[in-house]
Amino acid sequence: MKGIGNNWHLIYQLVVKELKVRYMRSSLGFLWVFISPFLIVMVFYLVFFRILRINIEGYPFFLYLMTGIFPWNFFQCSLISSTTSLWDNRNLIKEAKLPQYVVPLSVIVNNLIIFLPSLFITIILSSILLNGLSLSILFLPFILFIHFLIALGLSLILSLLYLKYRDTKYILEVLLSFIFYLTPVFYPLSLVKDAFPLWLFRIYYLNPFVGVLNLYRYTLLKGFYISITRADKLFSLVIIPLIFTISILFLGIYYYRKNKDKINDYLAY
Amino acid sequence: MITSLTDKLNGKVVREKTIELLGIGKKFPLRNKLIKPEIGEDFWALKDISLDIYKGELIGIIGRNGAGKTTLLNIITGIISPTEGKVVTRGRVLGLFNLGVGFQDELSGRENIFLNGAILGASKEELERKLRSIIDFSELGDFIDMPLGTYSQGMRLRLGFAIIANLNFDILVMDEVLAVGDALFQSKCFERLMDFRRQGKTLVITTQSMELIERLCERVVLLDHGNIIFEGNPLEAISQYRRILNTEAFFVGPTKKKLIEQTKKWADDISSWGNKLGTKEVVIDSVEFINKLGYKTKCINTGEPLKVRVNFTVRNDVKEPHFGVAIFRSDGVYCYGPNTQFDGYHIPKLPQGKGFFVLNFPRVLLACGEYRVSIAIWDKNETLAFDYHNGYYQLEVKGSLNHNNELLNIPYYIKNRNYLFFQKKVKNLPTKMMLEKIKDNLVNDRVGFKSLELVNRVGEKKEVFFTNEYVKCIIEFNNFNKEDNLYLWLGIYRDDGIYCQGINMPSLERNSYTIVFPRLPLLPGRYEISLGIWDSLKKEFIMFLKSIYPFRMVFEHDDHGTVYLEHSWNFKIR
Repeated sequence: MKGIGNNWHLIYQLVVKELKVRYMRSSLGFLWVFISPFLIVMVFYLVFFRILRINIEGYPFFLYLMTGIFPWNFFQCSLISSTTSLWDNRNLIKEAKLPQYVVPLSVIVNNLIIFLPSLFITIILSSILLNGLSLSILFLPFILFIHFLIALGLSLILSLLYLKYRDTKYILEVLLSFIFYLTPVFYPLSLVKDAFPLWLFRIYYLNPFVGVLNLYRYTLLKGFYISITRADKLFSLVIIPLIFTISILFLGIYYYRKNKDKINDYLAY
Repeated sequence: MITSLTDKLNGKVVREKTIELLGIGKKFPLRNKLIKPEIGEDFWALKDISLDIYKGELIGIIGRNGAGKTTLLNIITGIISPTEGKVVTRGRVLGLFNLGVGFQDELSGRENIFLNGAILGASKEELERKLRSIIDFSELGDFIDMPLGTYSQGMRLRLGFAIIANLNFDILVMDEVLAVGDALFQSKCFERLMDFRRQGKTLVITTQSMELIERLCERVVLLDHGNIIFEGNPLEAISQYRRILNTEAFFVGPTKKKLIEQTKKWADDISSWGNKLGTKEVVIDSVEFINKLGYKTKCINTGEPLKVRVNFTVRNDVKEPHFGVAIFRSDGVYCYGPNTQFDGYHIPKLPQGKGFFVLNFPRVLLACGEYRVSIAIWDKNETLAFDYHNGYYQLEVKGSLNHNNELLNIPYYIKNRNYLFFQKKVKNLPTKMMLEKIKDNLVNDRVGFKSLELVNRVGEKKEVFFTNEYVKCIIEFNNFNKEDNLYLWLGIYRDDGIYCQGINMPSLERNSYTIVFPRLPLLPGRYEISLGIWDSLKKEFIMFLKSIYPFRMVFEHDDHGTVYLEHSWNFKIR
């Protein structure tokens, strides 16, 4: 991935294009970046809080949902749209000499930009409802970066796999909904700990997104640290996602390097 | 460097290699090979291609569909990598497989310049610096801030090429993108391509247009089934290519030359008049119309001589040019378009320097009116003009008033006429409006029209004549008496309805009239004669017969237009 500096302009142009194309023609325009996540949160709120009556100790359920659903949405949308990105942009790749990785990368940057406004609103809401923020908010860029790298590493692998096996997309969709339920997006971690025997909980805990989501909450929700340490140590909350990130990123780069010369061959037929 | 030094000493021109292909091969696995490796054989799109391309060279790659042309260009550009062999390119390579890669309809032209430019590898600074010249080149003006979706296809292409034309590169690879846009845009593109070549950039093109290949390329590579079959002289390559196509029944060879039965009768596109097209390897400096007295003019009398003198400058040596002058009526009717090639001159080469050519018409047989003149210096096959001033010059022909929108003034005489018709001023002749208004035939029993015939010199009735043949028109009536206010009118029309010439003569004491054209100079095509009897007092036809005698003209020479004007060429090249 040498020379990424020379490609910033290209990535910038691709991201700007995508954002403009996505929001320019709708009458509410960029407001959709705020509206659509809130509509999702409303649905979850109705189903899980009002109907299924899941309760989170110490936090407004609405806020708890927001801190889970927004990051998850970013992740899910990034993966789904980046998986097909090389194929969708085949005209571009076949007709111009550009480093192909910029295509999935720009998709993820694009999703990140859409994610940021809702994150910003979450921060404001959290500081109002919980009477201020904890100092751990300073870790937010770090966790965002980790999350971004996971998405990037996975998207490199998935978008290449998709060129070879069109089944990738369907498998990914199933897997994502599976992981969604295995990640504490709308339920507290303590609930799982109470229900599972310890060995099963350890396995459950290996899911890096458990750590990622809880780190988001740790930075966004004041006093969350105390409730999280009831379930497990903060250390394992950090170390599992970190190891996962590094390994997935290197795997992604390795896989991309190995296959980048063949991308056009796969697109050729 | 030792070799190059000795080469220099030997007086050879040492040229810098910009592209080196060493034993390139490209294998495509067959479909599903990944999952079921046992299915089928691999497909070799290219095999063992070795080729050196030099700085400042314009090289053409030809071959049938699927011969591997695009794959080869892809490999040179670096979009795909070869399965075996090595590619070395020196400098920035720009691959052009489609104009306007990644164009987005929702974005404005300006935004698309940055997007497309970035995709082609240009930096932000470069694009900002070149933005002005890109917009200027595209001639889009204020449209540049409109969404691309509102653009016509032509505007998109203009924008696409404008970006390419202003980017920095050393090697440009183009895959069949040359044959796009209207003539004006194409000409501008080719002019820019010639500029690139002058600047010492390397150009690699593919196209199915053999005329372009012959016109542009110094060296041609013929590919078939992934192998280089021939490399070298364009003409040789093209004839080899035709041979391949012939053996596999793709191509039908040129038919034998026979009599010309039709010529171009209209200007291609009068809306492009006033443009200067061409690649500008030769530049037309000035064009002069000279009248019978030897003075420069824009206006001559009908039937008088005209000289067209064109001064030009040759910027780069060009092979096998020919000169052409075309005269159109202001509504686009093609009057006459002679060129030196039709007239059998062979000019092997124009050397760098100044020159001129003169076209001399002893008699301009055009009716009075406004005319437009195109001047061109063409390449051999009229693929791309060196310089072409399309409908650029205005010429006025004066004479007796042309009420009827006639095109020509062909000399004729009325046989055995009793008195001098031309001395009498005829008033109230049928006007253009009258002629257009009358749709149906009008039969007059009192006059009793019998027959109209065109006959040749020996008196045989014919429907086909050679251009410049002696033609006699015999009209007979049963009972047509002389009346002072009655005129016999005869109109010659082209089959597309263009009124070529009208002949009026007063009624005489007889039933038979003969009009003689000592040389009928109409060019190949279909024509018709209409006949009428005009009452100049009542200002109406008392008899009108539309298209009663269709006839054809043929000629052994190629020519353009409606009327053959006698002419001679005179040129001096350096």
